Amino acid sequence: MAEENSNQQQAPAPAAGPGTPRPGGGGPGGRPGGPGGPKRGRRNYVRRKKVCRFCVDKVDFIDYKKADVLGQFIQERGKILPRRMTGTCARHQRWLTVAIKRAQNIALLPFGAEI
Amino acid sequence: MEERIYDLIFICRPDTPEADIDKIVAALEHAVADKQAKIEKTEKWGRKRMAYRVHKLREGYYVYMTIRTNHGELVKELERRLKVSDPVIKYLTVRLDEELKRQAKLKQHRERRAARRPRKAPATTGGEQAVAQS
Repeated sequence: MAEENSNQQQAPAPAAGPGTPRPGGGGPGGRPGGPGGPKRGRRNYVRRKKVCRFCVDKVDFIDYKKADVLGQFIQERGKILPRRMTGTCARHQRWLTVAIKRAQNIALLPFGAEI
Repeated sequence: MEERIYDLIFICRPDTPEADIDKIVAALEHAVADKQAKIEKTEKWGRKRMAYRVHKLREGYYVYMTIRTNHGELVKELERRLKVSDPVIKYLTVRLDEELKRQAKLKQHRERRAARRPRKAPATTGGEQAVAQS
């Protein structure tokens, strides 16, 4: 019974508990891998200083016919790589998605892994 | 009416003879000419390996055309013909005029901006920032 008091005094959550906000996540974390561990099929890890390739080349139109360029932005399974993996800026990522989906429709890029 | 630009890609079965492919292209050209439209470009990319199986085939014969027209209904007609023809297994039409307009506008903006203010020396982006963060 005397133990209850001491337990209650220890009630306030420790510093690393769920109550404190944790850094990282969508912000500029710059750390490789997610909470689930490293994903397979990755060529580049998350790099903070990675710039958007299209911005550097000042590309105005991402051509859906260029499968070799677009192929660098998808996994082997056909899934589109997220921005934090490729370093693309938001605008070019939107254009890229459109181009990739068009290329997938015309069988220049795969939709999924071939069995 | 403004002029529209379309990209048309279609894939034929890989074993179709060249003559048949030319026939399809000719039929499309006919349909295009009927509506006073223009075909800007016809490219035959030839046999290519497809990223997935279409009608149980792994390869296809790709043909690419660029078409300029004022009539929007032309696309429907072309697609109808492609759908009906047997050797064609896949097709895709993309409308590009708005895209090209936006492209031209962006380019114009960029050039105007570059001409207006003195260009700073293009630094290696994020070079110093990376050192500061790591």
